[in-house]
Amino acid sequence: MASISIRNLVKRYGNFAVIPDLNLEIADHEFVVFVGPSGCGKSTLLRIIAGLEPITAGELYIGDKRVNGIPAAQRDIAMVFQDYALYPHMRVYENMSFALELRGTPKAEIDARVKRAAALLHIEPYLDRKPKELSGGQRQRVAMGRAIVRNPKAFLFDEPLSNLDAKLRGQVRAEIKALSQELKTTMVFVTHDQIEAMTMADRIVVLQSGAVQQYDTPEAVYERPANQFVAGFIGSPAMNFFPVEWRGEAVVFSQDGARVPLGLESCGPLRQAGKGVLGIRPEHFAVAADPADGMAVMIKLVEPLGSDTLIHFDLAGASAIARVDPSLRPKVGDRVSLRPQPGKTHLFDSTDGRVLQ
Amino acid sequence: MTDAPTTDRWIRYLNLLQLALAGIIILAPTVWMVLSSLKPSFEVTAYPPTLVFTPTLENYVQLMKTTPFASYAVNSLIVTIGSTSLGLLFGIPAAFAVSWTRVSWPAILTLAARMAPGTLFLLPWYVMFRQVGMIGSYTALILSHAVITLPIVIWVLLPSFDGIPRSVYEAAQVDGCSVTRILWRIALPLVGSGIAVAAILAFVFSWNYFLFALVLSNGDSKTLIAAAFNFIGEGSTQWGALMAAATLIALPPLILAALVQRWLVSGLTLGAVKG
Ligand SMILES: Nc1ncnc2c1ncn2[C@@H]1O[C@H](COP(=O)(O)OP(=O)(O)OP(=O)(O)O)[C@@H](O)[C@H]1O
Ligand SMILES: [Mg+2]
Repeated sequence: MASISIRNLVKRYGNFAVIPDLNLEIADHEFVVFVGPSGCGKSTLLRIIAGLEPITAGELYIGDKRVNGIPAAQRDIAMVFQDYALYPHMRVYENMSFALELRGTPKAEIDARVKRAAALLHIEPYLDRKPKELSGGQRQRVAMGRAIVRNPKAFLFDEPLSNLDAKLRGQVRAEIKALSQELKTTMVFVTHDQIEAMTMADRIVVLQSGAVQQYDTPEAVYERPANQFVAGFIGSPAMNFFPVEWRGEAVVFSQDGARVPLGLESCGPLRQAGKGVLGIRPEHFAVAADPADGMAVMIKLVEPLGSDTLIHFDLAGASAIARVDPSLRPKVGDRVSLRPQPGKTHLFDSTDGRVLQ
Repeated sequence: MTDAPTTDRWIRYLNLLQLALAGIIILAPTVWMVLSSLKPSFEVTAYPPTLVFTPTLENYVQLMKTTPFASYAVNSLIVTIGSTSLGLLFGIPAAFAVSWTRVSWPAILTLAARMAPGTLFLLPWYVMFRQVGMIGSYTALILSHAVITLPIVIWVLLPSFDGIPRSVYEAAQVDGCSVTRILWRIALPLVGSGIAVAAILAFVFSWNYFLFALVLSNGDSKTLIAAAFNFIGEGSTQWGALMAAATLIALPPLILAALVQRWLVSGLTLGAVKG
């Protein structure tokens, strides 16, 4: 149980700075999720915290101890590797008990903890198998089990649920969340899955090219993205973006000069900047009752999801998506009139993508 | 498509031809040696060679009677087992260290030592061992044969250690293993078959090596192979007995070589990481 503090961290491979300069404070007991595109440095950051990767410059504290030169074996961190890294010669049980055995935990307690983790992850039937006799998803759960039997200062998970089917993933997700609340151990979790990030995190770190784009609660990251990158990365389907301008006391699409039906309260920043990028999430379109109030679009593609329906259309020269009520029964070729929900739009600087306010 | 079976047939014929050639080159002298060792002594050097004869063990009896064959065999065993053990004792940690640190010059150095002609070492060793009065001792022979066994152990094991996924080592570190523990608990069990192969190859090469023993041993500590070399030309060469000796000497390496191939199939690291 400990906080993790990263100060002015630099990590270079040769001349390539994977992490140019990173600061991050993870509080004790906090559940932090790292998200970001492939290759942005999530695994590298985890490996640095674990002590598997040397730091080029900067400082790393676990608890109030500076651990820069401390080897992984002495950091008391549990980690789930992206590629599992199970011990091939050990049975599942031994894979999970190994770390406890090294610490001299009594046999009875080891057994209880292994059994408990196995039950949590639904791998009891495989305890006597070797890793090569397991499927990918089963191996991944063993890798997870090997971490959660321990009682470390912090847990590091590198996409630990990526190989599970949807149902199992949902179950394990809920169980990890419950476990984290019970164990009260600091957790750092890497995922590509939006739902995982939103549901599990106390705070989300959005990374791009080794730099923190935003570090905030899931709600804040979703509702108040700090820049266009975060806005486009968080949320699924992704936010729609349209270049817009302030022209004749109104907001218009740069592409065709058509007026955007926006309340004036959302336009303030644009009035100063002159132009920008308008962001509207698919779920923040409303179907206008009066066609004159909205923007007329023609539906190109319909994706019924059950709970709602996604419609694809072209707007101001860009391809866009809206999430609508299935009772609307949209069909390809239909014309609908859409308008952004008031107060739910975002404006970004058209050059550097930072949010305009 | 239609000519695929014909191509297959040709490949099969070529395979057979290859096997036949290999068989003739490798097996013919061996068969000749074994057969000769079973022939009555007057028939051994007969020309053309006799193919039909009454097998006899007279050469073997003769060999045992006229030479201290058994005690040479014991010498060979002591030197071979000693040098193989020494090679494993230092070679296993060395190979692991090279694989772990990725610093490879020590391994290359041992390889260079192995490739250099034995005579390079022989003279300095002879002088050194004589000065400390160790000529003819098992210690001198075992130490010198370690030059044979150590590089074999290191170079057979290096790919095995390298084949263990890095992340498995890293998982062990995170679990709290020191480097020595990783060697014992993770790496060693995973290279078991590699160690068996290394041990057997080291044994065979040490057993067959005769140059060092020829010079560094004395009458009492001679290894089999060095002793057999001396049989030639001791008065009138006893070809029959020599063949019997050669057959007996060749037996242990041949048996071991047959065993190696069973170990070569490894596949132990399967399932460690994502496919
Ligand atoms: N050993 C290395 N040498 C050089 N470059 C490396 C090395 N390891 C990683 N990188 C680079 O560092 C960057 C970050 O890699 P990292 O594995 O941290 O990405 P990631 O965010 O975990 O991606 P993913 O989501 O695909 O797992 C990548 O561009 C990668 O190519
Ligand atoms: Mg990664």
